[in-house]
Amino acid sequence: MYDNVIDQSKDITILELLDRVLNKGVILTGDLVISVADIDLVYVGVKLMLSSVETMEQLKSGKSVAEE
Amino acid sequence: MINRVVMEKMIYTIVFEKNNPGKLNALLSGIKTIDGERLYAVVFDEISSVVSDMNRVDLITDKSHAIAFAGVIEILEQHFALLPMRYGSMMESDLSIQKMLEKNYPEFRQNLLKVENRSEFGLKIYCDAKKLKKELGIKSEKETVQRPVSEIKSSVFREYVDKKLKEHRIEELLLSYVDSIIAEFTEVLARLNAVNKFKKMTTETNIIDAVFLLEKDKKGELVQAVEDLQCKHPGLNFTLTGPWPPYNFVDMTIK
Repeated sequence: MYDNVIDQSKDITILELLDRVLNKGVILTGDLVISVADIDLVYVGVKLMLSSVETMEQLKSGKSVAEE
Repeated sequence: MINRVVMEKMIYTIVFEKNNPGKLNALLSGIKTIDGERLYAVVFDEISSVVSDMNRVDLITDKSHAIAFAGVIEILEQHFALLPMRYGSMMESDLSIQKMLEKNYPEFRQNLLKVENRSEFGLKIYCDAKKLKKELGIKSEKETVQRPVSEIKSSVFREYVDKKLKEHRIEELLLSYVDSIIAEFTEVLARLNAVNKFKKMTTETNIIDAVFLLEKDKKGELVQAVEDLQCKHPGLNFTLTGPWPPYNFVDMTIK
């Protein structure tokens, strides 16, 4: 039971961290680089990763995130 | 045929060095980067850009790289005010980075002052949507005035309209309930002098998704306030994360 709580807490922290690293922070337009590896995230993470790739593709093509 | 490897500069963060000149370089030598390259600072006036050499082809987005990237920022955040860069930000050379710092200096400085001595926290509030809607439905039925028997005409149309009205009423009650929790928590954050951003109902179960920027020494008060709210609303699940570097509070797009 206690181990489950720890695992769940770790997953939440990693998802929160990935959301911030990939979707937030100062944006440098025109020179974002991203290649997606075979990612071993939990299920929710896949959705998160796809969203991040879409965001970066939009930035690369010059479309503002606010236009979404 | 020899393939030439073109190294570029991966930018991790923009650091405010005004109170700690010289300390940054000492720290950077002991921090592990994504691919083992050394970290160093490109300096302009009071701000520095923390960078490492990176071959563009090697920049793969996976969990370990993202965690290593965040790790660099997290260590530095314990010593300096900083603005995290989004993962994947690269420039050609130290000179181009220095020009970028110079060009955007006023905006960087303004944002750094805004986040100085503050950390970001996140709060997500989850509910068992079915259970909550059922409870609100019961409450709604109790409050609904029964129509006189003469008005009740059983028909498929009448039943459909009643069902839709009931669903709409429950949605309204749910939104009003979420607003009341936000109001309660906003009051706590105002007391702690925190800057906050709220999103409502991001999914059916995630009723509130909030991020806020709080003075570092008020962490204990925040944790206590969230614990108090959790005790007051045992049917909801409060998930507090942090302290984070201020990822959600740097509204900058640079060129």
